[in-house]
Amino acid sequence: MEKKLKRWFETFGDKENPDEFDAKRLVMLYSIKVPKGKRLGPEDALNIDDIKPPYVVKVCSSNILHKTELKGVLLNNDKECLQDNFKLMQDRFPKENILVENQSTYMGPEFIIGIIKDPALGHAVMVGAGGVLTEIYKDTAFRLAPCSVTDATDMIDELVLSPVFDNFRGMNLDKKKLAQTISQVSRLAHDLGDKLSQLDINPIVFSDGEWIALDVKVMFE
Amino acid sequence: MDKIASLKKFLNPKKIAVIGASKSKDKVGGIVFRRLLDSRRRLFPVNPKETAIEGYKVSPDIQSLPKDIDLAIITISAAAAVKSVEMCIKKGIPNYIIVAGGFGEVGAEGRELEEKLTGLAKEKNVNILGPNSLGIFLPDENIDTIFVEHGDKSLDRKGRVACIVQSGSVGVEALGYASNTGYGMRAFVGLGNKCDLDEIDFLEYFARDEKTNCLGFYLENIERGRQFLTVAKEAAREKPVVVLKAGRTHTAVLAVSSHTGKLAGSDNVISGALKQFGIQRVYDDEEFCDATKVLSMLSGTPGNRVAVLTAAGGYGVMCTDFIEKKDMRALLKMAKLSKDTQKRIKEATFPFTACENPVDITASADDRMFSQSFDILIEDDGVDIIICIAFFAPPGISENLIDIIADKIKKSDKPVIVFTKYGPFTDNSIKNLYYAGVAAYPSVGRAVRAARFLVERTKIKQRLDQKA
Repeated sequence: MEKKLKRWFETFGDKENPDEFDAKRLVMLYSIKVPKGKRLGPEDALNIDDIKPPYVVKVCSSNILHKTELKGVLLNNDKECLQDNFKLMQDRFPKENILVENQSTYMGPEFIIGIIKDPALGHAVMVGAGGVLTEIYKDTAFRLAPCSVTDATDMIDELVLSPVFDNFRGMNLDKKKLAQTISQVSRLAHDLGDKLSQLDINPIVFSDGEWIALDVKVMFE
Repeated sequence: MDKIASLKKFLNPKKIAVIGASKSKDKVGGIVFRRLLDSRRRLFPVNPKETAIEGYKVSPDIQSLPKDIDLAIITISAAAAVKSVEMCIKKGIPNYIIVAGGFGEVGAEGRELEEKLTGLAKEKNVNILGPNSLGIFLPDENIDTIFVEHGDKSLDRKGRVACIVQSGSVGVEALGYASNTGYGMRAFVGLGNKCDLDEIDFLEYFARDEKTNCLGFYLENIERGRQFLTVAKEAAREKPVVVLKAGRTHTAVLAVSSHTGKLAGSDNVISGALKQFGIQRVYDDEEFCDATKVLSMLSGTPGNRVAVLTAAGGYGVMCTDFIEKKDMRALLKMAKLSKDTQKRIKEATFPFTACENPVDITASADDRMFSQSFDILIEDDGVDIIICIAFFAPPGISENLIDIIADKIKKSDKPVIVFTKYGPFTDNSIKNLYYAGVAAYPSVGRAVRAARFLVERTKIKQRLDQKA
């Protein structure tokens, strides 16, 4: 296993599955950008160092798959209301960690990048129209991991959504960087090997010239 | 000798034993043996209950066979088949086709028998095709062991497509369809249950086979998936590889909690994987034949700009619709014809001819006009592919048109695909075109789809060449 992965596993410990914060640290090892954030324990006081507003406050637990449904996400917090909402979230989930992140502003659509393990062919990487409606759009493309940047570009071109990269309504989205990200995610899956069962980066959005993974879920075998 | 090299003898044996050869023309052993009578090979029927079949002396048992048999075709039932393989191995026979079913597909007992065969193949270093195999058919080598009707007589001797099929009936129907409309088969191999020889072995063999220029597979499961894809990609550098993959992958039944898992669904993963490895996917036996036919007959295309030449206005319009439809296999566009092209076509036909593409020379056209318009289109630098809509109903158009088109296609470096219909004579007409070297299809949609296969292939080839 890659050295960087070994180090990640050392800090991760022997938990069954990573929470969002762990998962984001994992994808960061493969040059995938995530919002600046801090994980705080159930007893911790709010301490966010130099993270800039606005803030998103999320419950951070590998046991909770759908945060929104459980009211585990609070958006659009400015400096003033952050303390109250952080407290509110701690009261709502007294045993769980809380993640406070800078809330990215972005243009254009949300994408999803994911990994599954096909029983016959092994890990496959997916890109698709993301967000909460991703399973309704079903606008996806798959390749086996690891996949090259060229393969990843083909995947993007297959999507119904692909015309957004042709300067659609003035959107200036970087297709090459998204393809590189897909390829990097596939490389991560390849390096993790059999241990990785499923991975979702959803949504991943284009913010300030970079693709940023707003939410990451990783499930181990 | 490595396994792949040893297949040469398997597919071109000099001495063949038929275990279970029968006098009865209804029994598999009877049919297979009679098929081989035309093969000009030395045949050795084995059956304790017979003494002579079709003038051949029958051996009562395997022990009495001569020593240097190249191939044994086992036509008896499952348990007995395994026993006879064991005996044949003692005789030093290196290659086997097992026709019988009743193995892994029927339950535990059959599975045990099949595993025994797998073990024998490995330990004793022999090749076993099947069980439950349809057999092999190589027109050019005069080898045909297929026991069901398959229109063999009308298949071209000099065919160049190797068809490797897992299931019987789909393969046989593809054969039947192909032979009705003209098709160049290099080899047909029925894999059956794949106890030993599988798609990868034949992929490797036919990728190296000089007489093969296109490989087609019908597969229900790919056990060594990654390896198949890797070997196929290597093969695709030189020859198109087409896969008809039926059956859903198992992803859908896994417990999935991620969005990605739910979206992976039926067979999105295999679709993506095939594209990634330069393999062209088809979805039914008709598309399988259509694709392999055009890919075997025409090499790629310089681009995706299509000119349509027609004497039937309606089909010209329909063809345009199909061409402009977004299809992710490959995008096509209607060629923009030069002013000069348009002027010359009008001069060669009528002042009122619609020359915008589709070029509609109308039902008043005759052979000469068709022929000249064709030449002019081929000379236009803005045209990469020509779809020619050939109808024989207009009074000025005769069946000579076939030869006229065929002659031009041979001289042209641009691919030409023909759509033709001729009432009840359609299949025959397409077959005649095939023998004249022309890839023709009986519907507009299929002709356009054939053009897409060429464009797709060219893209794959360019991509693979780049990476090399």
